Amino acid sequence: MIRQTPFSLLMLFLSSLVLLFILAPLTGMFLHTAGSDLLETVNDDDVRQSIWLTLWVSFAATFVFAFVCIPLAWIMARKEFPLKSMVQGLIDLPVVLPHTAAGLAVLGFISREGVLGKAADTIGLTLVNNPAGIALAMAFVSVPFLINSARDGFAAVPERLEKAALTLGASPSRVFFTISLPIAWRSIITGFIMMFARGMSEFGAVVMVAYHPMIAPVLIYERFSSFGLAYARPVSVLFVLVALMIFIFLRLISVTRKEVRYEGNAEA
Amino acid sequence: MKVMLKLEGINKKLGDFRLKDININIPEGGYFVLLGRSGSGKSQLLELIAGLKKPDSGKIWINNEDVTNKKIQERKTGLVFQDYAIFPNMTVYGNISYSLRCSGEEKNVIRKRVEHIAGELNIAHLLDRVPINLSGGELQRVALARTLITSPGVLLLDEPLASVDASLRDDIRRLLRQLNRKGITIVHVTHDYREAVSLASCVGVIHNGSIIQSGHPDDVFSNPVSRFVARYSGIRNFYRVRFIGEDGKWKARSEAAVDFVLEDGVYPDDGLIIIRSDSIKIHLNKPEDACINCYRGVVRDIIPSDYGMEITVDAGERFFVDITRDEFRNLGINEMSEVWLSFVPAAAVALKGSG
Repeated sequence: MIRQTPFSLLMLFLSSLVLLFILAPLTGMFLHTAGSDLLETVNDDDVRQSIWLTLWVSFAATFVFAFVCIPLAWIMARKEFPLKSMVQGLIDLPVVLPHTAAGLAVLGFISREGVLGKAADTIGLTLVNNPAGIALAMAFVSVPFLINSARDGFAAVPERLEKAALTLGASPSRVFFTISLPIAWRSIITGFIMMFARGMSEFGAVVMVAYHPMIAPVLIYERFSSFGLAYARPVSVLFVLVALMIFIFLRLISVTRKEVRYEGNAEA
Repeated sequence: MKVMLKLEGINKKLGDFRLKDININIPEGGYFVLLGRSGSGKSQLLELIAGLKKPDSGKIWINNEDVTNKKIQERKTGLVFQDYAIFPNMTVYGNISYSLRCSGEEKNVIRKRVEHIAGELNIAHLLDRVPINLSGGELQRVALARTLITSPGVLLLDEPLASVDASLRDDIRRLLRQLNRKGITIVHVTHDYREAVSLASCVGVIHNGSIIQSGHPDDVFSNPVSRFVARYSGIRNFYRVRFIGEDGKWKARSEAAVDFVLEDGVYPDDGLIIIRSDSIKIHLNKPEDACINCYRGVVRDIIPSDYGMEITVDAGERFFVDITRDEFRNLGINEMSEVWLSFVPAAAVALKGSG
């Protein structure tokens, strides 16, 4: 047992305060929600549809954007080029923008007058008030999480492993897929989960581009503003529970994935 | 004899550091040891030969083919990194078979070749293991197997003994000697001259990006061109001297006014004298009247060494003397003992360079 000094006791006390600050409101929300209300909410089609919409749109946005975020992360980790720090600033920009402002920016881009909106219009797709528009708004505010985490993962791959692979006759693309990507995989998965989580919890940017179809955070706000706290709370509790289950599941998958990685390589 | 690796006027700027006019010729089946301190450019030179970096000027020839602008994959060199660079996301089998999978060999061919090389290097029992559980010596063998399976024309080894336990060094050294005897041309970089003595057929000493001396290890270590090279051969007795010729006889006078009688020869006005620690004898009494280079001194320090014991004696100048443990026991000396030192004129060697 480590001996407690006055300093460590003070640190422990301050740490407990912040943990309590996170836990207390959530616990209060759960304690104030009756089981019957929760059951009723589970059976509410609007709630079920909005949670499902939130989950799949955020997942789809993360999945699709991973194909462009991972290459960018690799470039940021491995290449030196002029204005690199400006590019890094650009990547971090969505994190510091007010989310309603980010939503407005995305709305301008995807509305019929916008560049992407016009292009989508030519194939008969309206992005505003459409899951595709919601996905873009979610992605806009959450891509930094995936890019930065994957970048850290690639940067942590020792360069000499990549050099060794090159001297063994591997092409640069083979080095990427057999060495860099598998070794950085854990950080990429962490970034993927963070982007997915950030996307599904987004309200400000999404509400600017699509009030309908309603994602869960918008539905919670709508219930709260129309009917009050008591009606919004069960929806929140249900959404938090579903989100928790998904994160635990994804974390478990990412751990299993690491162990499979070692065995999966006796492929030849 | 056929030249396997030839470097011709290689220059390369790497940040503030520069490799300057590197010229090396290594015959087929040669074992070239490149000696240098860390930061002297020796690992960079290996990366240039392997093709991981391109020289600013100069040419690299492997097996009579100019490979200066060839891709890494087309060079027929195998590079083993100092810390082995074993892929942690693959089993030992995955690591060794990597190059064959890159070249699209068939699975049964790959298995046969991996099992063959693993058998040769005594790691057949490790094939299903993950690298994280392997010892330094095992990782070294895996790295060698992974490289040798490509049948490289030149095997490049970056400090292959530096990260191995002392108890395993002899095994690895024996293994490298065996590989060389089979005809593999080896370039081995290290900071340890003992590796050069025990393995090299040719040695080059690199300092500040330039090769300052190269040749057979015996020649390089017995005739060092500079103080830097001399230090590498374990020589610790250096004296800055003025050379004095009288009646055709030469002597050297150190800054502390100690005179050394030299062999006949031609000497400059001043320079550097080296005396190998094992060329100096210690006596309890003055040897004999005819003794030429004899000095009375006091023992200042006694340290166990690879050779036996290193005795530091203050005799006007400070002398480092290597004696065996038996000699040490017979002499019965300790710190502050008065002793006599002697050495023959041929043991005092004037350095050709400025030192």
